[in-house]
Amino acid sequence: MESAAFDVPGVTWNRVSDRLIGVRRLTVAVFLGIPALATVLPAVIVGSAMWLLPAVLVLLVAWAWWLIPRQVRAIGYAELEDDLLIRKGVLFRSLTVVPYGRMQYVDVQAGPLMRRAGMAQVQLHTASASTDASIPGLLEAEASRLRDRLTEAGEARLAGL
Amino acid sequence: MSTPNPWAPPPSATAAEQPRPDAGDPPPDAPAAPGEPGADERIEWRRLHKVTPLLNAWKAAAVILGLAVWNYGEDLAQLDLAWAMKILLVVGAIVLGAIIGLVYGAIAWRRTRYGIGEESVFLHSGVLWRQQRHVRLDRLQAVDVTQPLLARLFGFSSLKIESAGGAGSNLTLSYLTDTEAQRVRNEILARAAGVRRTGQAPGVAPAPAQEAPERPLLELGAGRLVGSLVRSGFMIVTILLVAGLVLAIALTRTFQLAGALPGVLAAVGYAWSRFAGEFSFRLGLSADGIRLRHGLLEAKARTVPPGRVQALSFSQPPLWRRKGWWRVRMNVAGYGGEGEETTTVLYPVATTEEVALILPLVLPDLGTDRPLEVLQAALTGTGTDEGFIISPRRARVFDPLTWRRNGVRITDTAVLIRTGLWWRTLAVVPHERTQSLAMTQGPLERRRGLAGVDLHSTSGPVTATIVHLDVETARTLLLEQAERARRARRHAGPERWMSRREGGEPDAAALRAGYAGVLPAVPAREEMP
Repeated sequence: MESAAFDVPGVTWNRVSDRLIGVRRLTVAVFLGIPALATVLPAVIVGSAMWLLPAVLVLLVAWAWWLIPRQVRAIGYAELEDDLLIRKGVLFRSLTVVPYGRMQYVDVQAGPLMRRAGMAQVQLHTASASTDASIPGLLEAEASRLRDRLTEAGEARLAGL
Repeated sequence: MSTPNPWAPPPSATAAEQPRPDAGDPPPDAPAAPGEPGADERIEWRRLHKVTPLLNAWKAAAVILGLAVWNYGEDLAQLDLAWAMKILLVVGAIVLGAIIGLVYGAIAWRRTRYGIGEESVFLHSGVLWRQQRHVRLDRLQAVDVTQPLLARLFGFSSLKIESAGGAGSNLTLSYLTDTEAQRVRNEILARAAGVRRTGQAPGVAPAPAQEAPERPLLELGAGRLVGSLVRSGFMIVTILLVAGLVLAIALTRTFQLAGALPGVLAAVGYAWSRFAGEFSFRLGLSADGIRLRHGLLEAKARTVPPGRVQALSFSQPPLWRRKGWWRVRMNVAGYGGEGEETTTVLYPVATTEEVALILPLVLPDLGTDRPLEVLQAALTGTGTDEGFIISPRRARVFDPLTWRRNGVRITDTAVLIRTGLWWRTLAVVPHERTQSLAMTQGPLERRRGLAGVDLHSTSGPVTATIVHLDVETARTLLLEQAERARRARRHAGPERWMSRREGGEPDAAALRAGYAGVLPAVPAREEMP
């Protein structure tokens, strides 16, 4: 596969829950679909050029519909002995290595949609603001397991700055 | 719901979720009531100097005067009063402001007290909103002694202890007398270093801590500072702007373009702040770390203990090239995000020889057998000389000019990242100071089989990003760098930099030997005792 470069030999990746696809699609439907519907009305009344706006919005929704499952399936994380690996992205890919000992704190967050789906996001913070170590769409049980594991590992390998 | 709630406290590890002490602000309920920070520790509480309200009062006066002029300035001008009356009104506003400032300042002063414990520095303050700030000494990142102009004239200083909680994560003691500030700084640094004074009877006032012996290394002359400002990019833009403005005014004989004046004034203001801030910049080395002193009107003396510099960068605008000058900047966790350019400068204008002297202060050992050659290649070189890894040929599409210059060299102790052909930059990150690593790739890079690697450092002027490497090289580099950083962390010096020595005096001679390092110092400076 093409993404081989973003794989690490000997590492099995954990995937996030497929429920995240539903949640993200719903979000897109709300934030793009409703405006699309709303712009249909003036288009019906005025006609012609006004159809451009809903058309673009519908295209965006369709694109997001197609992209979201790929994005979600591209998210992977692996707990190594000393580091957490996070892999992300379809178009813009990234592979992040966060040493447990560098962890300053862990966040577990969930919005109302995520909570309804029984999911949460775990985010690791280091002393660097540019560290992007968030894992969205973990089932609640997995989120709390990962949080405990990270805090434990962080304590065991604690390093200063 | 049957799934465990991720927000419920887990059985074991709640402590690690608490804000860590290095965030600067411990939770308000943490160490008990004022006056009893530790269980068996007795803190000697002290007050700031009595003059503090007076030194602060002029600020209140200035604010009130500003407000008054802003709101009533025009009314005042139109009022049918004698000049003397108007001046009297203005003076009245100033006096009123000063009195309000003075009264508030006096109350604030009464509420403020500080103490230095074995583990922490304490500051309790606030009139309506009380604040207790405890900074752990092993989390201290830098100590600054500042003398603002007014305070400097009367011999007072303000002392600032930086910790790594982002902007505003500092503890400021203002104002103390100059000697008191020195004493407190030495005390704090000695305790933070882990120098224990033994055989001291409880209750007896401790002997004042010795100032760590300091060796002056470099001093920046005013000539070079002015020269560097004249040759800097923004100055050229400013001069062109002014020239264009004058020309336009001369040609059209109108002042239509006078609207550009604020821009020019801002540029002049910036140049002045650079000049005044970096005037008489002195770099020294003591057992407590790097000492920086600078400032024309407002004088600063800063101490950055060993191991606190997270990353370094050396940059050279095009017009500095012929002079061989470099601007040395640093990431220090406490200074990040404070927005002031001069705060993060390690040395404003260094020659190439001086660069070879400054780098060992942060990185005593460059981790290679040919340090000078590697440094030279890193500063000015292109291509794969001295073991640099550069972008492959196919990256020319993205960097037609710089693809041979952009490169990375990994030594046993640090990563050197060089970028820019016209605007040369070299970033140096010691292995044990990287926070996390990432490899990134956009859609266009993927088509060319390229990827970039980011080394994440604390916030500051230095960013360590390697662009457009071969994707396999990038991945190998990422994984190996993770391993190297782990090994380096294991051997990193302690947070309390003197604690590795078993008691006694700091061994200045050994330290100098270490710092003289692999890179030879500038010979003329070597004669220093």
